Amino acid sequence: MKRLTLVVLILQLICSVASAQEIGSYLGGEKFMYAETKQINQFFRRFNSEENLDGKRIYEGDPNYHKKNIRSNYIRMLFDNQNKEITENIKSDFISEVTDPNIPSFLDYYGGRWFAEVDTKFTYLGQSRTVVLFLELEKENLGIKWVINNVYFYPFTKLFYTDSTAITKFLHPMSHELDFMNLIKVFKEPNTVEYYFDEEFKPDFRTLFLYEIKKGDLIFETVEKVSFHFFQLNNWYFHLQEFNREGNNRGWLIANISKIPEDQKDMLLKYIYYEQ
Amino acid sequence: MNKSTIFLSLILIFTAVITVVAQPEISPERKLAIDSLALEKVKDLGKYISIIGNKDTPFSEANRVIDRALELFSDGSQMGVSSLNNKDIQYFGIREYFQRLMALNYDRVKIEWFNIEYISDLVRQPDGRYVGVITIYQRFTGESDDGMKYVDTTKKDITVYVERKQTQIQGRVIGFWDVLLGDIRVTETKPG
Amino acid sequence: MKNANRLLILIFIVVASAGVFSCKSQKKIAAEQAAAAESRKIAKAKADLEELLSDNSGLSLDEKESRLKVIKDMNIEDTEVKDLIVKVDEKLKREREALMAKERAAKLAKEREDQLRNENTEQKSLDDYFKLIANSSNLGTSNRYIGEALQLFASDEVPVLIIISKSGNIVDYDRPTTIKKYLEYLKDQKVDRNKIDNVVYDANGKITELELIKK
Repeated sequence: MKRLTLVVLILQLICSVASAQEIGSYLGGEKFMYAETKQINQFFRRFNSEENLDGKRIYEGDPNYHKKNIRSNYIRMLFDNQNKEITENIKSDFISEVTDPNIPSFLDYYGGRWFAEVDTKFTYLGQSRTVVLFLELEKENLGIKWVINNVYFYPFTKLFYTDSTAITKFLHPMSHELDFMNLIKVFKEPNTVEYYFDEEFKPDFRTLFLYEIKKGDLIFETVEKVSFHFFQLNNWYFHLQEFNREGNNRGWLIANISKIPEDQKDMLLKYIYYEQ
Repeated sequence: MNKSTIFLSLILIFTAVITVVAQPEISPERKLAIDSLALEKVKDLGKYISIIGNKDTPFSEANRVIDRALELFSDGSQMGVSSLNNKDIQYFGIREYFQRLMALNYDRVKIEWFNIEYISDLVRQPDGRYVGVITIYQRFTGESDDGMKYVDTTKKDITVYVERKQTQIQGRVIGFWDVLLGDIRVTETKPG
Repeated sequence: MKNANRLLILIFIVVASAGVFSCKSQKKIAAEQAAAAESRKIAKAKADLEELLSDNSGLSLDEKESRLKVIKDMNIEDTEVKDLIVKVDEKLKREREALMAKERAAKLAKEREDQLRNENTEQKSLDDYFKLIANSSNLGTSNRYIGEALQLFASDEVPVLIIISKSGNIVDYDRPTTIKKYLEYLKDQKVDRNKIDNVVYDANGKITELELIKK
């Protein structure tokens, strides 16, 4: 109850800031625009309490910088409150863990373990197809940049290891005595060539993707959808999505969250990468 | 120490010096001034757009203003527009966008600003330039004399590049911040 | 009877006294009168000259000089007066020189001030142009103002620097522009965001460099 009152108070503050700024020939500072988490940058700053209600950056030394109860209230507003799967228990558990006065955890833009999932539209052999690109931040010189570190393209997945008679696909161990003349049979069946590769071999979709692009078979059209996966906080994972909808609970919000032990995160990652 | 080592360390020293001179770390006070400068450029752009979209603006004047507006942008900048009906991003070159705006068949075009803007951190790129994003909201109203009216509210995320540069003005070396706008993402937004 | 006696006595007295004066010769009387007048004149001249020598006269230099001239014109043959005249003359000459020097300095100062005022008027009018152009809603009028304002400059390409912040020794500028572009910027944006910080003129009084600072 106490928490709710605080949230209401904060919202009222946001409203009063908004109305105080209605000046000149500008349109009114709409409440929802203040409430909206407008950038990922703002998601970070709100999560950490590194900006004031006005959206202006605050720095170390400011009494509200990284302040526990302000963070608690901010973070509570950062959930998609239309997703009933994110229960009050999960929210409280998450908030109390990340704002733990002894070991508070903050989000760090430069800290790694968070990445973007971008649905893009390409023309592939004359058809419009979705390619999912995974991007992460990589440091270079004194700067930083987004790099594509994984690609998922459904047609590629149909190219490999789909034959149920795979057990018969091998070059017998005496092939060397015949100058590997049996290779002709390997390449006669293009759909199963991968079975003749070593155990460690894993088809690299990025290389295939590049090859198709360079051949001119894959042509970029547009971006369809963007979301972000956060593995940065210990024992937690959440999915950040943008909500363009009416009301104040909009913008970049936590669409899904789960408590997950660190040693199980790899599995989740594989799942997100469409590898499982 | 052999010759090549000396040579290498010299190169390293020079590289370090050049980098430091070229792009110094920015103090919060100076960052604030850069932020307002960037915001000013964004507002300038808004005004140019109103002039270009205004039917009363003579053709030659509109073209002059398009050139001036283009000077705000770094080369190759694009607008990426999506609407509530079509979420895919449609791309326009900046000049193309202005020319379409000029050719719009509205008798009156009004671009109003919501009094809110959000300025991201400035993040350093590998090439030493800084990049940030300014988010603003605008309401576009197009009206024709026959009563046709089109209104939309858009969120605009505007890329801002900031680079420390030097130039000589009448023998004097002037250090200045070159603030250029880049790609603009335009999303039609649900009001309220 | 008493009254008549009194009148008689009075008449007697009057006649008797007249008889005493008329006793001296007419010439002597005249000489005495002249000498008296001369000594009064000398005394007066001395007093005046002494007053001129002192600084208590309260007269202007012009008045002092004309008074000295009057005394000189009297041609008083008196050594003391002559000495005093020389002294006063010297004193007034010194005063005249000092005054002229002062006037020259004042004139120079005034000239300098006028020049400065002219410069200020120029700055003010440039500032006025900035305001006029930014506030004009008519394209023709703002273009006319731009044309006029450009007359103050050595060329359309005169560089304009805009200071965005000063912290310590570090001065941060916006990207340099030219005066023509800046004036057009004011016309387009209709905002006069900067004030004049420094102006550089050439020998013809035309502006060759303009530095502005954010208001």
